[in-house]
Amino acid sequence: MNRLRDPRWVLILSFLAILFGVPAVQTIREAVEEEGVLAVEAFPRSLSAAGLRTYEHTLESASWAAKASRPWFQLAQFAGLKDGGSKAIVARDGWYFYKPGLLDLVARSAPTVSPAGDTNDPVVAILHFRDQLAARGIRLVIMPVPNKESIYPDRLTARAAHLKGIIAPRTAEFQRRLNDAGVEWIDLFAAFRDARLESGAEVQPPLYLRQDTHWSPRGVALAAQTAARRLRELGWVQPGRVRYGERPAPVQRLGDILQMLQVPDLEQRVPPEAVDCIQIVQRDSGEPFRETSDAEVLLLGDSFLRVFQQDAPGSAGFAAHLARELEQPVQFLVNDGGGSTLVRQELSARPAYLTGKKVVLWEFVERDLGLGREGWKQVPLP
Amino acid sequence: MVFTTHIFVFYFLPLFLLVYYGLPMRWRNLWITLASYVFYGWWEPWFVGLMLFTTVMDFAWGKVITRPGATRRQQRWAVTACVVTNLALLGFFKYWMFAAETLNRVLAAVGAETFGVMKVVLPIGISFYTFHSLTYIIDLYRGHATPAKSFSVFSAFVALFPDLVAGPIIRYKTLADQLHERRHTVERFASGVAIFIVGFAKKVLLANPCGLVADAVFGTDTPQPFDAWVGVLSYALQIYFDFCGYSDMAVGLGRMLGFEFPRNFDAPYRSESITDLWRRWHISLSTVLRDYLYIALGGNRKGEGRTYFNLAVVMILGGLWHGAKWNFVLWGAFHGILLAIERWRGKRSLYDALPRPARVGATFLLMLFSWVLFRAENLSAALDYYRAMLGLGDTGVAAPLIAAAIYTPYHALVLAVGTALVFQPVQAHDWAERPVTWGRTAMLTPLFVLSLMGMFTQAFNPFLYFQF
Repeated sequence: MNRLRDPRWVLILSFLAILFGVPAVQTIREAVEEEGVLAVEAFPRSLSAAGLRTYEHTLESASWAAKASRPWFQLAQFAGLKDGGSKAIVARDGWYFYKPGLLDLVARSAPTVSPAGDTNDPVVAILHFRDQLAARGIRLVIMPVPNKESIYPDRLTARAAHLKGIIAPRTAEFQRRLNDAGVEWIDLFAAFRDARLESGAEVQPPLYLRQDTHWSPRGVALAAQTAARRLRELGWVQPGRVRYGERPAPVQRLGDILQMLQVPDLEQRVPPEAVDCIQIVQRDSGEPFRETSDAEVLLLGDSFLRVFQQDAPGSAGFAAHLARELEQPVQFLVNDGGGSTLVRQELSARPAYLTGKKVVLWEFVERDLGLGREGWKQVPLP
Repeated sequence: MVFTTHIFVFYFLPLFLLVYYGLPMRWRNLWITLASYVFYGWWEPWFVGLMLFTTVMDFAWGKVITRPGATRRQQRWAVTACVVTNLALLGFFKYWMFAAETLNRVLAAVGAETFGVMKVVLPIGISFYTFHSLTYIIDLYRGHATPAKSFSVFSAFVALFPDLVAGPIIRYKTLADQLHERRHTVERFASGVAIFIVGFAKKVLLANPCGLVADAVFGTDTPQPFDAWVGVLSYALQIYFDFCGYSDMAVGLGRMLGFEFPRNFDAPYRSESITDLWRRWHISLSTVLRDYLYIALGGNRKGEGRTYFNLAVVMILGGLWHGAKWNFVLWGAFHGILLAIERWRGKRSLYDALPRPARVGATFLLMLFSWVLFRAENLSAALDYYRAMLGLGDTGVAAPLIAAAIYTPYHALVLAVGTALVFQPVQAHDWAERPVTWGRTAMLTPLFVLSLMGMFTQAFNPFLYFQF
């Protein structure tokens, strides 16, 4: 007991209690839950750097101490110091932005072809895909969706208050190369910028959700109108005969950026955003829009195709709105975060999606030019 | 393995301490060696083989040098062979690609055919343990140290995990006695815990957040001038708290094992001149370069001109020691020239006449300029960054947006605390060195818990000096 009257001992014992206590509690919890002791069971059978990293990551992910303390530390950073961690930026007037997207947007341009000669060039991948589709008699149109910060830079920082939209140098270069290569693409950058300028005092709802990386119902509708107009101009789709109607479908949506904060009781701290979706329905039956496999238009893309379509309220996403604009059904294939390569790999594995198609509209978000998961691989179609 | 990770704090360290203190003294060096090999091999298991090779080789050269009856000539041959072999290994792993790519550029410039460059993986910390090992051989040759009594003692010295991958660079003669006999006391252990916690907090709570700001700005296409200055300030704080934090943790861990390591930093940003700076920054490297290179080149014994030349050469090589990039060569040259100028002025800076705060400010400003070379990816990026700092570049169209990522209350708090800490007279290391009182215990334990919570949260946790 005398030792506890000596601050040196108290410091040592506190330190050792933390060092030994955390793994001891972890082991006891795992033993009680009869899942086996992870520190033993997850140890790699063959010693390699990758195996050891995985082992470390596994222990870290399973740690009760990390799970218990992480949300509170993040809450202190978020609520007290307006810091959104590695994923989020807490911006002006209740707006949130995706931090990796912003850092990529402002970044020095990286070479698109690695020194080893492995291509990771979006334009090369697009041309390869276009040529493969052309061999099947299918036309390709590209639809890069602007990053939220490209359209709303003024919501990010007071310093950009005068800006109503920007085109980052790498994006401008990408657009120029698409034009030079004769690739057809839908210019949402211009459409969204013009819509913002026309908004004047901006009483209309924004084109993007405040708490989310994705577009708003208004952005969805504008994108669908712009895409349909372009497809008609190109003469790639014939006027349809399916009549669609619409009905209001308001939802409450807790934005994906907010969820990335991983703070406890988030919904009580930041109320979900009220989103006035427009659900597309069959005019005759009143049934919500459903994709059909005999459609002539196939949409490939990432979560921008998913929002409001597969998420609540359903049938209110880009696919439904494009179908209404074209007056004909469409089919879609979505891979969250995989607009650059993964969705084409999925198409390659499920070639039936191409049966009867005349047009493929390939959507991906601007940040995927630099951050695309799996890069920009050339994916052969079967 | 990295100190500020879950695996080190909650698995490696408790297990190591448990066994270490459970073993009798005569087995502890062997345990240090074995555990250190696990610590080192955690990055890449085959690295261990290379370190073992160096250790065996240098131990054998040590035997040759101290062999009874060895002539001075034989000793000279042995030490030369040992130094050449060590530097050849270091050179191959660290500088081969740099040299080959430079040669290729020259060949391409004169229109000759270039050749394929074999990719070589740089074993982490090789510069540090090679220097550790070399000090043993050179000190034996100079008669400044006695040979290790056993291989386990020498291998424990080379592999000693607290200072293995990022220093401080500890000479054999500093640790020789402690390797054979050291005292394990409550006072020393408690002081080790205190210094370890302070270093841990520096790394997690200050260096990592500062690094986020620095990375964001250095990654920006032509940032605005103010942002560029904030970026380089953040990098200055990051590299200081990162490296100094690591050194503190090493010193603290050393004390927990009964060792006394020399301190590696002494309030470097309070330096009044570049000469003063190099007495305070990475002290173990400066003194090794002075004692083993500068003096070997003749030091100041061969006239004024040669002294300036020696200073410049030592600093250029010191720069190159940090990495195989022209940036580091120029960084070393920048410091070498400034040191030579100050030597020429009688160890007085160009701004010696100014009051002390202005001298400190001017030295810090020079440091900031030199850190750009250190941080930028290449010379072209460094030049662009200098242009941005001086307002000579066209700010990128998206560059103003970076403000949203860097000017947050969190970053402002971290930068303010960091700046205040580096310029205040009592450094955290000194504070932690003092006897452990109730007040300190009451501060250190929550600081450790807070730092651990930060560690759990951070995805960004690089140690800058590991790459050197």
